[in-house]
Amino acid sequence: MEKLIKELEYRRVEQQTRRHFLRNCGFGLGALGLGSLLGSCDSGASKTAQVAGGKVPHFRPTAKRVIYIHMAGAPSQLELFDYKPELVKYDGVDCPAEFLEGKKFAFIQGVPKMLGPQGKFKQFGESGAWMSDYVPYMHDLADDLTFIKSMHTDQFNHAPAQLLMHTGGARLGRPSLGAWAAYGLGSENNNLPGFIVLTSGGKQPDAGKSIWGSGFLPSVYQGVQCRTGGDPVLYVSDPNGISRDMRKNTIEAINEINRQTYEQVQDPEILTRISQYEMAFRMQMSVPEVMDVSKEPQYIRDMYGVKPGEGSFALNCLLARKLIENDVRFVQLFDWGWDGHGTSAADNVGGGLHEKCRQTDQPVAALLQDLKMRGLLEDTLVVWGGEFGRTPMQENRNGLVMPYMGRDHHLDAFTVWMAGGGVKKGFTHGETDELGYYGVKDRVHVHDLQATILHLMGFDHERFTYPFQGRNFRLTDTEGKVVKSILA
Amino acid sequence: MDFSFFQDSGWATFIGRFHPILVHLPIGFLLIAALLEVGRRMGRIQVNESTISFVLFWAAVGATFSCIAGYLLSLSGGYDEALLSDHKWQGIGVAAFAWIAWLVKSDFIGERIPFGPLFYLPAFALATVLTLTAGHHGGSLTHGDDYLTQYTPEPFRTLAGMEPLNTKKGEIQPIADIQQAVVYQDIVQPILEARCTQCHNASKKKGDLRMDEYAMLVKGGENGPIMVAGKGGESDMIKRCLLPESDDNHMPPKGKPQLTTEQITLLSWWIDQGAPADKKVAELTVSDPVKPLLAALQSGGAAAAGSVAEASAIDGLEVKAGDPQAIAKLTQAGLIVRTISAGQNLLEVSAVNVPSFNDQQMALLMPLADQVAWLKLGRTSLSDKGVAQISKLKNLNKLHLEYTGITDAGLAGIKALPKLEYINLVGTKVSDQGIKSAVEMKRLRSLYVWQTEVTDSVIKLLAKEHPQVVINNGMSEESIAAFVTAGDSIYSKLDQKKAQ
Repeated sequence: MEKLIKELEYRRVEQQTRRHFLRNCGFGLGALGLGSLLGSCDSGASKTAQVAGGKVPHFRPTAKRVIYIHMAGAPSQLELFDYKPELVKYDGVDCPAEFLEGKKFAFIQGVPKMLGPQGKFKQFGESGAWMSDYVPYMHDLADDLTFIKSMHTDQFNHAPAQLLMHTGGARLGRPSLGAWAAYGLGSENNNLPGFIVLTSGGKQPDAGKSIWGSGFLPSVYQGVQCRTGGDPVLYVSDPNGISRDMRKNTIEAINEINRQTYEQVQDPEILTRISQYEMAFRMQMSVPEVMDVSKEPQYIRDMYGVKPGEGSFALNCLLARKLIENDVRFVQLFDWGWDGHGTSAADNVGGGLHEKCRQTDQPVAALLQDLKMRGLLEDTLVVWGGEFGRTPMQENRNGLVMPYMGRDHHLDAFTVWMAGGGVKKGFTHGETDELGYYGVKDRVHVHDLQATILHLMGFDHERFTYPFQGRNFRLTDTEGKVVKSILA
Repeated sequence: MDFSFFQDSGWATFIGRFHPILVHLPIGFLLIAALLEVGRRMGRIQVNESTISFVLFWAAVGATFSCIAGYLLSLSGGYDEALLSDHKWQGIGVAAFAWIAWLVKSDFIGERIPFGPLFYLPAFALATVLTLTAGHHGGSLTHGDDYLTQYTPEPFRTLAGMEPLNTKKGEIQPIADIQQAVVYQDIVQPILEARCTQCHNASKKKGDLRMDEYAMLVKGGENGPIMVAGKGGESDMIKRCLLPESDDNHMPPKGKPQLTTEQITLLSWWIDQGAPADKKVAELTVSDPVKPLLAALQSGGAAAAGSVAEASAIDGLEVKAGDPQAIAKLTQAGLIVRTISAGQNLLEVSAVNVPSFNDQQMALLMPLADQVAWLKLGRTSLSDKGVAQISKLKNLNKLHLEYTGITDAGLAGIKALPKLEYINLVGTKVSDQGIKSAVEMKRLRSLYVWQTEVTDSVIKLLAKEHPQVVINNGMSEESIAAFVTAGDSIYSKLDQKKAQ
């Protein structure tokens, strides 16, 4: 109730913004009553603290920072981590009717044929985790990972599935996981945003910027996308002829005006604006420094496979390590090009997928190794996955035989792995059936994964809410169960 | 009566299984009739005697059909004979007395029975009491006889003279040292208790099989032994678990909580090893597929060497809230101060934005000596002099000193910290001497010494003496180069194959 009244007050103040405008135009409307209607300056001060400060976690976080590696387009679990020897036998056999009854696929029509795993699998480490020769660099890290093999989602198209994965809802308008993290834990570095996004693979993810948006949370928590070539963040460098001191004076003057306006109209977005101006000024110094990998020793750059002057997933991984080292809360990496339908030489689960793995396998492994030896992996959670999985059947778009080996979108089974920050080492949770079609043990829904990540960051996903339009919203909506068995 | 035709055709079991549904009708009807009768006699409600009579009639009909269904169910066997007999006769009693109570009140027959009305109340009361006892016994037959009171809370527990509540019953408790675990007692029995003994116990021995005690498990059931010592795969117990769930012989029955593959593998391995009663893991041969499963049972389930998940030294620690003025001073100096979690008041302090943080400024932390648990002073201007002050932060749990001026002398100064679990010394001048003293710290678990003067040979030595501490020396330039080429070679192999 109290929250409702607060929101009502806020909406009322929004109305007053218009009156305020009229008053300034010389009408003097309501000038007398305004002072008593507006909140006092005290409440404003506490709101400022809230914007910058985050909340106190419900319990002690085991993951103080998160790197979320999203392979946009959805990598095939059947080629990389979910080994299905039975599927080899059924390669080329018509798909059993029970798999198709009542199911909808993005492209598969009629009766497709089963497609055996294209990678060669072996077990690695003491934990005996299965991995294929598509991801050779990960082999040595088997005992650092927790696999969830029984992931499932509700959406079989890229954009809604990506939205569901990152915002908890398939439609637009909700805050992303990283925004929730920044909102909850606050920033641990005064000079860098709490949530930074890096993309690679030549295209942005299908769902666009909404998957790192702040939704109804104050916009200060949205992900800041950094470019990997040229200026890392556009428009933060000083224009020609403007000195840093002059810039500083300008920003101070603007913020002073903003502050006065805030005291009059109480719109929290003004606080966001003020802190963004201040942050931008500090970022002019801090971002170029942290985004500059030229000072990294050559052997570290080689470890990630970073090529000079080239924006790449490898560079993004190295940057992610540097950002984490500087206590950025949430680093989101998107790499595009994993949609292996079998339509072209690039989009398939044979050579195309192999090429994508070649671009990403070494950097991901290097990132884990690097975090480990710097003592950062213990409290940094690394998550790897796509928005859904791929079918054990070969895609037959329009009922035709495809030019390359490909698999369709699949929502009933995919693999996500995690490492570091409070998850078990060398552990596998869940299992799919012998053909990898459906999770048969310990299924984990996208909301369960989100609940678990929040839990690792110290938040009970059911109590971690934000009031909006009269009700408390949370990342997991009304669903989600923490996957307790993967917690270390 | 001969039910053999019935039984053979499956009709008996089919009808019998309706017993648990049917029984609720007479229970409800009888109790409502009794309530109405009491209410009427106390003058609280206006109710016609014929109404009660009507309810009684249906109670008697329901009880009769329940008896028939119950008898048919009992033919499928597997129940405790004594308990079953009690239950049966009480059930028949319910039906009989309900009929008597109804008869003596009925319009046609009631008047013809001499002293009929005298029988009414005793018969009614008996039927009601028997409903309750029969119902309770029925519950005990289905769920086991301690089902009702298993979770009796305190103080009633002690008053009733029951054993303290073991809430984790049926779950495998994390085992501190898996090698020393007795396989039957610590691994096998908890699995059986979680999944099997509900139906195979002293009071409900389905298939004449009990799995609650070792001797009974070895003895087997109506089809003979269920285990072939040394041959897990040929043992009936394992074979049934592996049948498809839809198969009639599959165990546990369809719809009941199933065994996981890991649990079946563990049981099968134990039988492979001769199903010993008192052997420890260390005394048996552990095959490769079983290794990770056993490792997962160890506390925390960590499979990688050395990573032991245990309660943190600051778990449950509560201190009073830090002085807001002291916190404000730190914030003014550019440090970031955060409360780690609700309820504990412990603080996390970071100097990530203050590379100039120096020994003198350590004084700022002293008013918060009780509260600071996580301290990040990496890449600052701190030297041994400032590090010496850290020894006063008695609840310190994680300490970042990477790329600072700390040396062995400074490290020795903080040796006494009782809750310190993590020290990051990457890129410092610390050497073998320093970490030799550091590993003596009681709670230390992680020590990061990449790019220091610490040598691999000493780390190897210390790792043996102090297996609880993971000393990470990172990767040398050479091992990084090896890492790069190892993966590359697999990719080029694949390329060659593709080219062919």
